[in-house]
Amino acid sequence: MSVHGQVVSKKQGSRRVRKKAEEAHGLSITSLLDVLTIILVFLIKNVSMETTKISELEDMIYPQTITNEKLMENPEVVPVKMYQDKILFGIESLPLGTPDDMISDANTREAMKQFFLNEMASIPEAKKSSACLVVQADAFIRCVYVTEIIRVATYANFPNIYFATIEDPDWLSDYRPASIQ
Amino acid sequence: MGVYRPSQARQQQGQTAPQEPNLVPIMNLFITIIPFLMLMIVISQVAMIALNFESSGVSGGSGEGAGGGSEALVEIRIYATEHETGLFPGFEIRDLDKSVIKLPKAGDAFDFASLQNNLVRLKEKYPDKSEIGVVVYPDVMYDILIRTIDICKQTGFVTVKYMNPKEMYYY
Repeated sequence: MSVHGQVVSKKQGSRRVRKKAEEAHGLSITSLLDVLTIILVFLIKNVSMETTKISELEDMIYPQTITNEKLMENPEVVPVKMYQDKILFGIESLPLGTPDDMISDANTREAMKQFFLNEMASIPEAKKSSACLVVQADAFIRCVYVTEIIRVATYANFPNIYFATIEDPDWLSDYRPASIQ
Repeated sequence: MGVYRPSQARQQQGQTAPQEPNLVPIMNLFITIIPFLMLMIVISQVAMIALNFESSGVSGGSGEGAGGGSEALVEIRIYATEHETGLFPGFEIRDLDKSVIKLPKAGDAFDFASLQNNLVRLKEKYPDKSEIGVVVYPDVMYDILIRTIDICKQTGFVTVKYMNPKEMYYY
């Protein structure tokens, strides 16, 4: 920022008086800072790490529901993502074959059981009652696969199981089966 | 006698204007954090449906104190379109008084509107009942299951028990 000094000279007899140079004032950003602080506090309050674990997957078609239930407070969430051609387990999205593998292959079922048991074992004792399995499944997979997941999860003592959906209050009036959409 | 110049500190105290704090570093920090936090905001919120389990159905377990399965339940059975040997594709509602309401599919579509009407009527008949069993056959699509559970919860049967059929299709 340059300083523009303006020198004004006056004649007062023979004496020359130099007026003090004035500095140009910088743009005040205090009010902007106030606004940003408010936004920052608001955003920090609303960010939920649990929500990010079960955020909407762009490549999955969710079933629609009118009802929307809140996830438990401070849960230990274990997500399972069930696509038509693959199943991904946990926050790390570990692949464990296809849905058909889960039914036909005993090794896949055993690996899934071990995964759920390990996840439950890693949850602190005080938080075991709030352990949640969140099933994010494609709308067009068969229930036999979902049932198998639930069967193994209940074997591993998961006390809460949630299905992820997309809220749509009007689905019942708009309902058309996929084949005629 | 010596002459001393005035103290430099005193001279500065009198002349220096109050300094504004330098806000540039904190502004940099804010401008970095705010876009990051805004990226983390979930715009399209995923809804949730909680589930309860029938102990004699899907191998035990209970959600929020449910389970046990000793109490009689209104049941909704969902049959799929394929392999319907002896069964019809659609819904079957089994009342506590053993009466059965059949809601076959209309073309390709499951009759959710009739299911809702019947559940509203059952809720009026059993206002104290909040539990209902949903028996789902293996070939039923997940979408149909979730919509059925949704209608149950919407009509006042808030505790939905996920049950496996004891009888299976014969292929």
